[in-house]
Amino acid sequence: MIEINDVSYSYLGIRALSHISIKIEAGEAVAIMGPNGSGKSTLLKLINGLIFPDTGCYRFQGQEITENQLQDPIFAKKFHQKIGFVFQNSDTQLFCADVYDEIAFGPRQMGLSESEIGKRVNDLLELMQLDAFHHRSPYHLSGGEKRKVAIACVLSMNPEVLVLDEPINELDPRTQRWLVDFLIRLNKSGKTLITSTHNLELVPEISTRSILFDENHGILADMQTQKMLLNTDLLIKANLVDEYYHIHDGEDHVHFHDHIF
Amino acid sequence: MNQKYQIHPVLKVIFTFSLVILLSFSHNFAFVMTILVYTLFSLSLMKGNQILAILKISLWVSLFTFIILLPSNKYSSVMITVKVFTTVTTINMLPHSTKWSSITGAFKFFNIPDIFILVLDIAIKYIVMLGNHALQLIWALKLRSIGKNRDKYQSLSGIAGNLFIKSVEMSKEMYSAMECRGFNGKYITLEKKRLSMVDLLYMLIHIGIVILFFYIGKIVE
Repeated sequence: MIEINDVSYSYLGIRALSHISIKIEAGEAVAIMGPNGSGKSTLLKLINGLIFPDTGCYRFQGQEITENQLQDPIFAKKFHQKIGFVFQNSDTQLFCADVYDEIAFGPRQMGLSESEIGKRVNDLLELMQLDAFHHRSPYHLSGGEKRKVAIACVLSMNPEVLVLDEPINELDPRTQRWLVDFLIRLNKSGKTLITSTHNLELVPEISTRSILFDENHGILADMQTQKMLLNTDLLIKANLVDEYYHIHDGEDHVHFHDHIF
Repeated sequence: MNQKYQIHPVLKVIFTFSLVILLSFSHNFAFVMTILVYTLFSLSLMKGNQILAILKISLWVSLFTFIILLPSNKYSSVMITVKVFTTVTTINMLPHSTKWSSITGAFKFFNIPDIFILVLDIAIKYIVMLGNHALQLIWALKLRSIGKNRDKYQSLSGIAGNLFIKSVEMSKEMYSAMECRGFNGKYITLEKKRLSMVDLLYMLIHIGIVILFFYIGKIVE
């Protein structure tokens, strides 16, 4: 479904992706992990057709995605309808006057009738437990509610692939749990999930496969999530676990802490 | 559909702006007072919380205008204050009673270029967020200004610069988010909707206002 072949990308002369090759099949749940600034968010933007490779090529469902291709409004609409992107910062994703308009934005761009849009929006408001926020301004919602609205906005277009950039960040534990359960259900219903995260505890729940970036903006490992999380050397190399100084039974000592399982 | 969206948005946009233009051209106190009464009547048909939100802004702006105009003659200060109050209330009633997507759709109906609508759209959507960001930067400056901070003005210029960079980044990211949801720079026109009896009544009232403007103008001449 998604095929990235030897892609490199630089932003203002700074390397962000270096010779990346990834293949993702429909229905997979993939986690993108790596240290800060390793290129995770850049990769997600590339998958969503917001930036284009300097070298290499990106194919979606067999079709190469280029700037020229996305200049065609019909192709662009079809492509963006198939891939939904939940941004790291919900504030930038929420730009309409109220929650209803926010969720209806995508379907309106797809040219659906107002009655069909109304049905989709109301179903999603119910599914995401947002019924009470129908006419509320997104700016006045809490962080968790904003994230729910951001996901609802994307789901209103019924995409085949859902790309999420650090979706669990800044959420309280209960909302984190709700979101993880929701993502598991989405994946079980057949949606392809691509999630970038630092949260090692939740990775095995939201993914079966993990792609690990290194500080040189390349791929350090691409393997089953369970296997990757047991490979402490790999996680240390990617800055995902660190030496941890603490006291056990009155004795202070230092060791690597991942607290994964 | 909520009752507040009953009147056709194209009619609302046309007549709201025509009302504002007529108000600003009018020198007749009777006409201005007639529009004020009509505006207050329309306002009274809205929900309580909406009336409060609209009046709060209108009253503050009018009070400020009145204080500024106090040194001038009584007639002008009252006339301009009433005009300001009515204009601000009328303009404020539009977003409170019409969805923003319908307003942009109405702009599209008048063949206003997409780029103009886009700039207006982004500016309005982000004004609140930029305000919040500026406030946080000022708080941070305040918390770090222990004792007397002689470089405060220098820091304020830094805040303005930071805000500008942030606004560019945010607008770029927001445009990307819009693109991801199928937006391609072209605003969609509103779904064709037949005019209802309420729309016709609304049109008649506003045509009456236009006639009144010219009729009163003739009497004064």
